[in-house]
Amino acid sequence: MPQLDHDSIDPEVAATLDAIDATLAGEPVDARYADIAEIALLLAADRPEVPPAFAHSLDQKVERRFAAMGLADKRPRQRRRWSGFWGAAGALGAGVAAIVAVALVAGGGGGASSAPSSSASGSMTSAASSAGSAASAAPAVRSPQHSPPTTSGSVANSAASSATSSAPGQPLQPPTTGRKVVQGAQLNLAAAPNRIDDVAQEIFNIIGQANGVVENSNVTQGGPGGNANFQLSVPSGSLGQTMSQLSALNYAQVVSRTDSSQDITDQYGAATRALADARALRTSLLKQLAAATTTEEIDSLKAQINDAEASISSDQATLNRLNHQVNYSEVYVTVQARTAPAAVSQGGGGFGVGKAAHDASRVLTVAAGVALIALAAITPVALVLALMWWVGSALKRRRREQALDSV
Amino acid sequence: MDHALVRSEGVSEILTASPSNSRDASWERFESLYRSSRDDVYGYVLTLLREPAAAEDVTALAFERAYRRRRTFDRRRGEERAWLFGIARNAALDELRRRRRVATLVTDPEDVVEASDGDGAEVALRRTAVQNALAQLPAREREIVALKFHAGMSNAELARVLGVSESNAGTLLYRTMEKLRKACNATA
Repeated sequence: MPQLDHDSIDPEVAATLDAIDATLAGEPVDARYADIAEIALLLAADRPEVPPAFAHSLDQKVERRFAAMGLADKRPRQRRRWSGFWGAAGALGAGVAAIVAVALVAGGGGGASSAPSSSASGSMTSAASSAGSAASAAPAVRSPQHSPPTTSGSVANSAASSATSSAPGQPLQPPTTGRKVVQGAQLNLAAAPNRIDDVAQEIFNIIGQANGVVENSNVTQGGPGGNANFQLSVPSGSLGQTMSQLSALNYAQVVSRTDSSQDITDQYGAATRALADARALRTSLLKQLAAATTTEEIDSLKAQINDAEASISSDQATLNRLNHQVNYSEVYVTVQARTAPAAVSQGGGGFGVGKAAHDASRVLTVAAGVALIALAAITPVALVLALMWWVGSALKRRRREQALDSV
Repeated sequence: MDHALVRSEGVSEILTASPSNSRDASWERFESLYRSSRDDVYGYVLTLLREPAAAEDVTALAFERAYRRRRTFDRRRGEERAWLFGIARNAALDELRRRRRVATLVTDPEDVVEASDGDGAEVALRRTAVQNALAQLPAREREIVALKFHAGMSNAELARVLGVSESNAGTLLYRTMEKLRKACNATA
């Protein structure tokens, strides 16, 4: 007969319990426990008997394995309701997790796809800083009313220049009415390694149609890489159209584009005035020469006329150079061979084991990311559900126990 | 070449064996548990509820639930009898709660002042005194008596069903017996 652990219970209690167990087992007990033993025997003998009809009925139900059970179980419907609740809660949690994961992945994907534009703006920034004071000058380029020609003096004094980058196909047109503006652009393109030559030819064709000049070019093709550089001079009147065409080549895509402009109206005016002054001086000297009578006076005037003509030549050259800068815009174009995935999107690449492995690793990475995000979203929901379940169970247990106290 | 077709020993048994043998094992365990516990469960439930019709319903319900959950039984968490009485206890307590909600009049306990012809007068009196004392106990203590003397549980099983420690269960049983003893002596 199992004995109680006497170390954790009062000895008198333990002895009484042992006496009860001994009585029920039919063993003799000490006379001190005669009363308790008698009560125990009477209680055990007074166990309610199962009514034969009920016993027979229950036996049959068990025999049928409760197949046609007509029991008045009040709980199944409620249990189904609860299981429906938990099922709905689980589905809701999973749905929320899926939505969050998809949203986050989509957001991440958007960030990834916007990487090229970030890169473009990065190059824009560097170009702007190299051009100097771009931030303040850019608005003047974009909106003439913010920098009217009448106030251009200060712009000219500060050697106003601007550099900005715009989306491909939307060339900037600085306000040129009455102003002398030097424009320029830089275009970085990417093309499949085997299309560098085609891109170069397209560029040559466009420059030819625009009556421009290829001042310098360098095309390298072969192997996995390849690149091309062009220094072009394009009539400023057709710069916008030319840039649009260069930005929409068949075999290249724009990586970045930088447009720049510099107002040289004051510089141009100074050169014009210097030329006019030099010409006026020469005219005056020629008149004085005609009236000169002494040899020394004639020699001196001829020397001054030579200086004035040299000055005129210099000023004229400066003016011509400025006119050329205004009339022809410098355009720098670089073409870089791009990597395989972009080539595939262009339809010029193939499908190999390397690309498959790359794609597979990408898919696995994305799947792992989605799983991680889903887990992060599900965990708090699961914790809340577990807490609700625990609280619900505790309340149910407590209510059941309270039922005993109320009877 | 002639090859006699010889079937290995035991193949016939394998081929004719029911595919649901593994499932029948749980059924056999349940059936054995039912046979050994039916009367104990009924006695416990009736002592607790004091209403034969409700006791029958709850007993049947407890066995049905046990049958449905028989595969979820985990022996590491206790013996099958304690598990079964836990189910019966929950069903009985739910019945008590339901009664409280609907505020129905609970049937008066049967008149226990009955003595069989074979009992002596003194024994009959003592028996009546014990029955009356038991009827006066609150449900929580009546439950302990039912589990111990009507369901025949050990103190360890009693503790497992009540969800308390074994020493705690022993103390509760001791106090209940002391109450009964004092009530019986007072009657005498």
